[in-house]
Amino acid sequence: MHIPDGFLSTPVWAALDVAAAPAAAAMTRLAQRGFDEKRVPLLGVMGAFVFAAQMINFPVGAGTSGHLVGGALLAMSLGPAAASVVMTAILAIQALVFQDGGILALGANVFNMAIGGVLAGYLPYHLWGAGRGRRVAVFLGGFLSVLVAAVLALAELQLSGIAMPAALLGVSLGLFVVSAVLEGAITLAVFQAMETLHPDFVRQPAGNRSRTLGGLGLAAVLLAVVGVWFASASPDGLERLAENLGIAGRAKAFLPTPLAGYQAGFIQAAWLRKAAAGLTGLALIYAACALFGRWLAPSRQRSA
Amino acid sequence: MHHVVLEQWSRGQSFLHARDARAKIPAVLGFLILVATAPAHFEPLALICFLLLIAGLAAARLPVMAALRRAGVVLPFCAAFAAISFLAGEPRRALSLLEKSYLSALAVLLLVGTTPMPQLLRGLDSLGAPRFLLMVAQFLYRYLFVISEQAQHMRMAGRCRGGLAGRRARFRAAAGALAVLFSRSYERAEKIHRSMLSRGFDGRIPVLAAAGFQALDAAFLAAWLSVCLLLRSAA
Repeated sequence: MHIPDGFLSTPVWAALDVAAAPAAAAMTRLAQRGFDEKRVPLLGVMGAFVFAAQMINFPVGAGTSGHLVGGALLAMSLGPAAASVVMTAILAIQALVFQDGGILALGANVFNMAIGGVLAGYLPYHLWGAGRGRRVAVFLGGFLSVLVAAVLALAELQLSGIAMPAALLGVSLGLFVVSAVLEGAITLAVFQAMETLHPDFVRQPAGNRSRTLGGLGLAAVLLAVVGVWFASASPDGLERLAENLGIAGRAKAFLPTPLAGYQAGFIQAAWLRKAAAGLTGLALIYAACALFGRWLAPSRQRSA
Repeated sequence: MHHVVLEQWSRGQSFLHARDARAKIPAVLGFLILVATAPAHFEPLALICFLLLIAGLAAARLPVMAALRRAGVVLPFCAAFAAISFLAGEPRRALSLLEKSYLSALAVLLLVGTTPMPQLLRGLDSLGAPRFLLMVAQFLYRYLFVISEQAQHMRMAGRCRGGLAGRRARFRAAAGALAVLFSRSYERAEKIHRSMLSRGFDGRIPVLAAAGFQALDAAFLAAWLSVCLLLRSAA
């Protein structure tokens, strides 16, 4: 689900752009460390492969067919960081060339699919990919990559105040589960065929398991769980969240008082007040991401 | 085909084609932010933005009707959500969803229709996007249609051999086809890599002609952004 521009409210797309930029940069650095920089053609051509894979139809039944989305499969063959870079590049090309997904919403789409989806899709393989539950882990990876991305997108839309009746929400969640099962089945089938062709095409997750990676994947899954809970509990999106946290009340009380006498004072414009609250949130998120990046880089060096 | 058309459009010659990508990218971002932050009932503003974009298309000598049709690819997705909002009793939001997403798509189309992809990526590079990521995007764009054509050939070959009977068998055949496509893409990437190395590739793509950011570019950017700011404060 590629979110176009104009769907997300300003605090939501801005916050996700600010969150996705350092995350994508960190993934790029990780991928560069794992890959020789000269191997960049491989990642590009693999991105083209994921694009082209949409042309091969998988029969589902009842005359319909599905196709591979590919985030989890890439993570299991190239590694999660490289897969995340490839998916980010795919999303950028889709937004620019095919008008599939927005430019301001690119941060949201990257966050949902290239970071959340890829990490969640790699998590089961990371944990159980070496043992007897390998097939289940591969299936579960495909399943989670689609489900987590879709649920995150749904939660962001709800957060932006796009009202969705409870019944419809249930139906769309059901559809997401169906397409996630399909992605799991396709991922497993292609994974097995690839392994038969050449065992080196898939990555062996044995040996040094990076805890950071597992933790990040777990965080992506947890975030999606919170997303489901939030999407089902919140009727009014961000305003409700702000109310719960007490931000809105404080912002209202604090901001207009200096200019209370002016009826047409520009600070009373609702969007400006929201923007101020949003900017505070942005600063907090950015600080968290910067700290997280600082912490991530040395911990990778130690484990290497 | 889809991106062949864009390639033709972006190689044209006009005032907008001649502007530096580093001026056009912030200009489009400013416009997108203007549209995204506009209030839900902004029909006069939407009309002005629409006319502005049409003027841009005309100034770039792009086929206006074809561009309007292409930007319409966002509409089916948006129409579904607009219908949901409409049924939920928010007709204004429904309308603004359609307007905002269509205007944004048209603005991006105007950017990529007047800027060849290598220039666009180089512009993003000098605006601070990670170079490794941009190089991956560049290779992706270059080989997109090569690999897609290969997939189409494989699909055609599968059909020519006569389809398989059961759904299960067809599912497995499709999985096998994808695995083969993966393997061929991998081989192709290795070949590309080797031939690039033999031509002296050292991890970055050299720039042949670095066009400068001229005073005209700065003037264009300043004028465009002030129009956006003016429209935003009037809304």
